[in-house]
Formats: sequence, structure tokens, C-alpha cells
Amino acid sequence: MKITVKLIGPFVQLFGFSEKALDVPPGTTADDLIGLVSIDKARPKIVTRNGRAVVPDEALSDGDRVVISPIYSGG
Amino acid sequence: MNGWTGQILRVNLTTKTAKTEAFSEEFARKWIGGRGFAAKILFDELAPGIDPLGPDNKFIVALGPIAGIPAPNTGKAVVAGKSPSTGGYGDGNLGTRVAEQLRKAGYDILIVEGRAASPTMLTIEDDKVEFLPADEVWGKGTYATNDWIYAKYGKGVGVLNIGQGGENLVRYAVVRSLEGRAGGRTGMGAVMGSKLLKAIVVKGSKPIPQADPAGMKKVGYDDLREVNRIDKKTGWSIQSTNGVLAWCNEVAALPVHNFRRTHHPDAWKVDGERLNNARVATYGCPNCTMRCGITIHDDEGRESELDYENIGLLGPNLEIFDLPAVGSLNYLCDDYGIDTMSGGCVMSFYADAVERGAAPGDIRFGDSEAFKKLLTSIALRQGQVGNILAEGSMRAARAFGHNSIDYAMQVKGLEVAAYNCKFIPGMALAFGVSPIGAHHKESWVITFELKQSVRESYGPEKAQKVIDLQRIRGGLFEFIVACRFPWIENGWPLEHYPKYFKLVSGLDWTLEDFWTVSDRIYSVIKLFWLREYPQTDRRADYPPAVWFDPSNVDTEGPIAGKCLEYDKYDGLLQHYYDLRGYDKRGIPTKATLERLGVAAEGRAAEKYGTLT
Repeated sequence: MKITVKLIGPFVQLFGFSEKALDVPPGTTADDLIGLVSIDKARPKIVTRNGRAVVPDEALSDGDRVVISPIYSGG
Repeated sequence: MNGWTGQILRVNLTTKTAKTEAFSEEFARKWIGGRGFAAKILFDELAPGIDPLGPDNKFIVALGPIAGIPAPNTGKAVVAGKSPSTGGYGDGNLGTRVAEQLRKAGYDILIVEGRAASPTMLTIEDDKVEFLPADEVWGKGTYATNDWIYAKYGKGVGVLNIGQGGENLVRYAVVRSLEGRAGGRTGMGAVMGSKLLKAIVVKGSKPIPQADPAGMKKVGYDDLREVNRIDKKTGWSIQSTNGVLAWCNEVAALPVHNFRRTHHPDAWKVDGERLNNARVATYGCPNCTMRCGITIHDDEGRESELDYENIGLLGPNLEIFDLPAVGSLNYLCDDYGIDTMSGGCVMSFYADAVERGAAPGDIRFGDSEAFKKLLTSIALRQGQVGNILAEGSMRAARAFGHNSIDYAMQVKGLEVAAYNCKFIPGMALAFGVSPIGAHHKESWVITFELKQSVRESYGPEKAQKVIDLQRIRGGLFEFIVACRFPWIENGWPLEHYPKYFKLVSGLDWTLEDFWTVSDRIYSVIKLFWLREYPQTDRRADYPPAVWFDPSNVDTEGPIAGKCLEYDKYDGLLQHYYDLRGYDKRGIPTKATLERLGVAAEGRAAEKYGTLT
């Protein structure tokens, strides 16, 4: 299935891309996806799926847009 | 008295006199500094009902025990007075060399009273205070004024100044400092302007009293280096605050078209990546090693310093998705000395009102040249529309009528920051209960709402989180007077602040002790508001009506079909009041005031409004 991954803020520079489309096997979870794009799992982050927060073991669906952001605390 | 100079400089512009007053150790320990000092002094010294733009108002610059001492992000000062925007307590903080210089001159607090007979520049050099003519720069912008001052005194002095916005009493005019910092969006620039006070210049040469100066020096410089190391590791400064723009767009929290929409396909054009790519220089405040100011060239070739708030509200909110054009609007706000957030909200409100036939004119969203002209007409109060909009969106809505108040994006007269809370209940509450009118600086709970709670919740966990953040952001950082960014953006532990406090004052306090001070200051601010608005009720703590409007919901995206609900919001507000010990109007109860050690202030306020 096709998933779009979008990185936010300094993650773009730190992990080397801004947005990319991936082909992943059915059943791939949000946590799996973070591993696939080589994001440091220990780094605090907030992950959204189609604009809504997800838990790590949530299975993704074809066409999802997953956004991975550092935890901003506001200006 | 280690930790404080123990001195107030009180200046009267009417009589051109200055005197030094000592404050007690009890006062210092009870209110600590910054906002604490300002709130207590304004409560004690201002008679309720005075005109915030008249000579009876006071302009205060207040510092805290670590302000100006080299340590993470201590180059900040609080400016305060009765707010021309809200009629309540008003303040703001800004990065400035005044923090260091005023303390070195021997003062923790500057109180400016009265009204000068002609444009004046106040200069303070240790014990010497002078009232100098400023006619030469009256009518000029903040950049020219700053250059004029630097040419006279050099770049090492502390400077606060205003532009034409403050001179012309635009109710959301700010105070400016350095080459790119602003504060006091509650109209503190207009308070200076009303006193014909164009600028304050400060230079000091005395040591700041500290319990352990050698220890503080070592810890301070070590920690400045450590914050810099952490910042390099996290990469936060790469996109700075504007890193959050793309995220707000993804989660439907971006203000677009006067907050009517929450995301836009062109938002990427003004996001943090594009801002970083356009960077021509980086600016920071004194004592900062994680500098957040990114400047770009605007569409007229000038350097303009951008961040998330001014891009969000002067960009997508006006449907402008071109960084140089946004930079131009931002430059004008900075030069005129007008708050970029309120300026953006006021102009978007006006364009919305025109679109709905509620206001005269032909301005259209997306027309950056038209917004530049509008901004100039506001700053110079030219024409009927410019004059009305200089009053802020709440008063403009009253002038335009046609229920336009529903989409004036403000709370208590102060415009909201760049977070669209159409369906973010906790952040809407944070705007509602901010003690100075809508402001994000007191509490920012969006990521908590999405990660540790659920967006749909109106539960007490969100009210508690708003309070927790208010105690830190609106309390600790505003009274100890330091920038919150090392903590909020790079995770710098709060435990460092009691450590700094001990090194400068010798007092061994815990964070819990600080939270009591935070709550005490909030309570006195609430009493200030009660005296001004004795008939107040909980509706004063409601966010803009358009966020509750079912006809205004998104038709697609993450929050399609959703908006805030009044009964649920009211329940969330009640959770907040219960946790705070406030009554059903949102006023601290007598028992709460007693617990916080401000029963006497409560009795003083009871002459004007009731307490329960």
C-alpha cells in the first residue's frame, strides 16, 4: 500500500527528507513506518495520521498521510 | 539584599523629576520580579477606571532576580501598564539590553508616570536621569529611532522605543528594542506614546547583587554552552518557531482567511523550510545561545525578521503565501511599532467584514499591496477605516455592527495568536483564561491535546494542563524574567531555575514554592480586572464565537464537520475554575486569596466588586 510520510521542522534537515511516498506491506503500523524511514525512535515526537494523532501500534491504510513532528511546545 | 538591587526608579514626565525608592525583602520574596512586581504595583497604585491612554496610567519596566545575568536566555524585560486594548491588566516581555543595563544602573523596577509636555527621550545612566527632547525622531519609525539613539550612545546601551503606532495611540502598539525585538502587545507602545515618551535609554555600571557571583558566573556560562549544544543536537533553530507552521497545517490548526479555514494547500510556501532557505541573517536576544530570529529580504529588499506568529497571521490568515510579501507586512509592523499578531488579526477581520458586507471598502484576501496600504493607514490613523481599525478588532466590530463581533478574533479585546482552535478545546480555553486577553504565551497545550489526551475531550485533564503551563510560562518565566524557549523547545529542565535563584538570592526554593507565587500573581491580576469590570461574568472567558459556529465548520480534512460546543466548553471552563479555586465568574474566592497570601488585596478589591 502507498503511504506518504511528511517530516516537520528540524526533522527535515536531521533525517534528510521533507516528504516522500513509500510502498509498504499491508499491516504496517505507525511505529514500523518510523523505522522504515530511519527516524530515531528514542526522539520525542508526535505522529499524526491524516491529521489525527496515532498510537505506535496503529495499523496504517492505503493512501494515508503520516506526519512526524518533534514535540513543539509553542512559541 | 542579594538577588535584587532592592530599588525602584520612579520618574514623572509631567514634573521632570526622578526619585529612588527602596522595596522590602518581603515584597521581593512575595512577588519575585517582572510580572509579579508589575501586577502588584499597578494594583496598588492605579485607581480603577483611569484612562489607559491618559497621564494617570503608569508604564512599568520590571526585571527579575536572574534578568540580565549571563545564564540561559535572561536578556528579557517585562513592560506593563493598564492595557489600552483590554482595559485590564496588560503586559508583555521582550528581549532587550535594558534587562542588564537597568539592573547594573541599580534598579529592578522603573515606573514612568505623568505625561511629558513634548516628545521626550528618558535617559538613565546609573543615578543620573535626564529628560531629553525627542522631536527629531517623533513621527519616525523604530528603525530610524534606534539608529538615532545608537549614533548618540553606541550599541551597548539598553533601548526601548516606539514607532508611529505608539505615537498615534494604536491600541495594539508595542515597545521595540534592539534591531528586531518587540513586546507589550497589550498596547504598551501606546501607553508610552500617550506620555509622549519616544524612547528610554539605559546604561549601568554597578554590579548586580548576588549571593554567589562566582558560582552563578560559572553555572551561567556552562549552561549557556549546554543549551547551545542541545539546540545544535535537536536542530530547533534551523526553522525556529516557524517549524510549527507545517504541523499546524497538517492538524488543521492554521489560521487561514480570518480563521475561517484551518489548512491550505499553499501553506508550504511560507513554512519553516522555505524560511530557512530564504535566511539572510540570524538574530537573538542578549544572553541567548539558541537564537530564533530568522531574517529574510522582503519584497522591497529590506531585512525583515520572521517567526511563526507573524507569518501565520500576516500570511495564511490574510491568504498571502509569499514570504517576501509577508516579510514586507512584518517589516511595516516592526517599523511602525505595531503588534504583528493583532495587526494580522485586525486586518483579516476587516477583510472578512468587507467580504460579508459589514464594513465599507473593497479589500480582498491575498492582496498584499492593499494590506500594506491598510497597515499604513492604521499606524498613521489615516481615514475612517484606518482610525477604526487602530482601535483593535473588538472596538472595530462594535463600530461595524452586523454581528461582526462574532468573527473578531479576540478575547477581552486582545487578538488571538496563530492557533486556529475551531476544534482544539484546551487551546481555546488557554486563550479564554489568559490573564491579559488572548495570548499563547501563557499556555500552549495543542501537542498535549493530541498526544497525551484526545482532541475531542473537554475533560479536567486539559484544564489541569492549562494551569500547569500557566504556572510555568505565565508565572515562573514572567517573574524570574527569562525566555521560556530553552525549556519549551529544547527541553532544558525547569530544575535549573531554582538553582539560579539560589545562586543569586541565597534562597533555597522549590518549584512548588514558585507555583504558589505564580498563582498569587494570577489572583492579583484577576482582582485588577474585577475592579475594572465589576459586572464581569464567565462569558468574558469565552473564545471567539466563530469557533462555535456550526455553519463555519471545515468541509474536509481532519476536523471536517466539527467545531467547539458551548455547553462542553463551559464545562471545561468550570473544571478550570474549580481547580484554580475561582468562583463561577472566574474570580478567586476569598478562601483562595487567603491561601495565596493576598487577602488584603481582596479586601481592597471588594470596594469595587464582590467576592465570594
